[in-house]
Amino acid sequence: MSTLPVGLSRDLSAKRVMRATVGGQDLVVWRATNGEISAWDNRCPHRGMALSHGFVRGNTLACLYHGWHYNGAGTCTYIPAHPDLDPPATIRTNRFSVVEQDGVIWVRTDGEAQAPDLPGGLEPLRVFIVAASADQVQCGAAQVPYEGQMADAGAVLHFGAVSVMLLLSPLGDGRTQVTTLASAGLTVAQRSALSRWCEATRRHVEAQQEEAA
Amino acid sequence: MSREHALNDWYAVADVPGLTRGPRKARLLGCDLRVSGQVDDPVVTDEAGHRYPAQVRYDHIWTTLGDDPRALFEIPEGEQPGRRRVPCGVVRVKCSPLRAVENFLDIAHFPFVHTDILGAEPHTEVMAYKAEIREEEDEVWATNISFYQPQAAKSAGGGITTKYAYRVHAPTTAVLYKTCPPRPEEMDVIAIFVQPRSETECDVWPWMALYDDSSEFAELVQFQQEIFLQDRSILENQRPTRLPLDPKMEIPTRADLTSIAYRRWLKRRGAYYGAMTEDA
Ligand code: FES
Ligand SMILES: [Fe+2]
Repeated sequence: MSTLPVGLSRDLSAKRVMRATVGGQDLVVWRATNGEISAWDNRCPHRGMALSHGFVRGNTLACLYHGWHYNGAGTCTYIPAHPDLDPPATIRTNRFSVVEQDGVIWVRTDGEAQAPDLPGGLEPLRVFIVAASADQVQCGAAQVPYEGQMADAGAVLHFGAVSVMLLLSPLGDGRTQVTTLASAGLTVAQRSALSRWCEATRRHVEAQQEEAA
Repeated sequence: MSREHALNDWYAVADVPGLTRGPRKARLLGCDLRVSGQVDDPVVTDEAGHRYPAQVRYDHIWTTLGDDPRALFEIPEGEQPGRRRVPCGVVRVKCSPLRAVENFLDIAHFPFVHTDILGAEPHTEVMAYKAEIREEEDEVWATNISFYQPQAAKSAGGGITTKYAYRVHAPTTAVLYKTCPPRPEEMDVIAIFVQPRSETECDVWPWMALYDDSSEFAELVQFQQEIFLQDRSILENQRPTRLPLDPKMEIPTRADLTSIAYRRWLKRRGAYYGAMTEDA
């Protein structure tokens, strides 16, 4: 499994917690008060509660079930049932490597995450999920016009002066999460038109799957 | 294999108020059942028309699918005169029946899940208590538990330190004895009867036998229902869904002594329905 996008940096402000998936791995991704970001197996080592329901306290993530705190290193720092206890260092979450680049949060579950070098001049637009494989999304997207124009095929789709890039993360259940980047500095109207294009792409690709089935 | 063991326990499949309204459907251990008849003569049948044993206890209709059922447990305190017996309806939860019982046996979650009702920060400490498997009765018991509670019961006027004791007689039923706010010398009885629909889904029937003359029946039910709905939001988000009996899979602390004893007891009796074992 390579390094894959799981969401946008701007959707995860300080003290926020989100749930994400890459290649079938359920993740909790959260940002501490100090801005530090972490991505872990979405499971509390204590009694298996999904940590994505937890809440940030300072620079720790607290589990919703019994309130155990875990710091950015994934180590348990506080067990409310035993306030005077120093939790054994062996209690820790299962961590994954995470980096932020180009406004995107990237995770790798089997090694050091390294975000690819993207073409310049792009910025995040939106994230959406399509019930189709990454290849099917890539092919289908080139068939959907934007404002009446077809794109020249390629990793980056060019509609005249407007460029779009789709970053594809297989979710592991036949669906694909699409992180969309678009030319920087677009007008609000252009951005909403592109957002509608994303929606049209999703419908188009999913309709193709239904026809094939 | 695991279902084999589960067949010989008794399970609540309907409550008396429900049966009074007419026949009901129920699902038990993956088998579709119909509960009909009268409260003094309940009838439990499957789709093929096969009739299973049925009895009415604790305001519920109980049945068993096995040929050699173990005895249904006794809750003598529940039958004392002067108590109000309150069947609290049913809550359906997509979780292992064993995780539902384990949650019922847990107090450390009160401040976080039942905030300002059964617990509140900073009163999070779980004091040392005793948990054991009582060999003679073959039951799990936890005693000497006390915990600060802002609103321990409908009848509590404000925060009190509540005393608790737990008893598990069958893998899917558990009884809690807790301080009765209007009568400190007595204990309220609260039980859950878990009806395993499958290994990963259950219907939970809470039942109470209380000294409380002032609350409306509907208020008492609502109080209990609210608490179980809060627990459901936890139970449906634990993973794996089935309860791991391998001690390496989840890390307990001293506050989890009851859960540790419960898991050990399940393991030694081979009660694996809704559980994960090392070799599974
Ligand atoms: S399950 Fe997370 S603190 Fe208990
Ligand atoms: Fe609870």
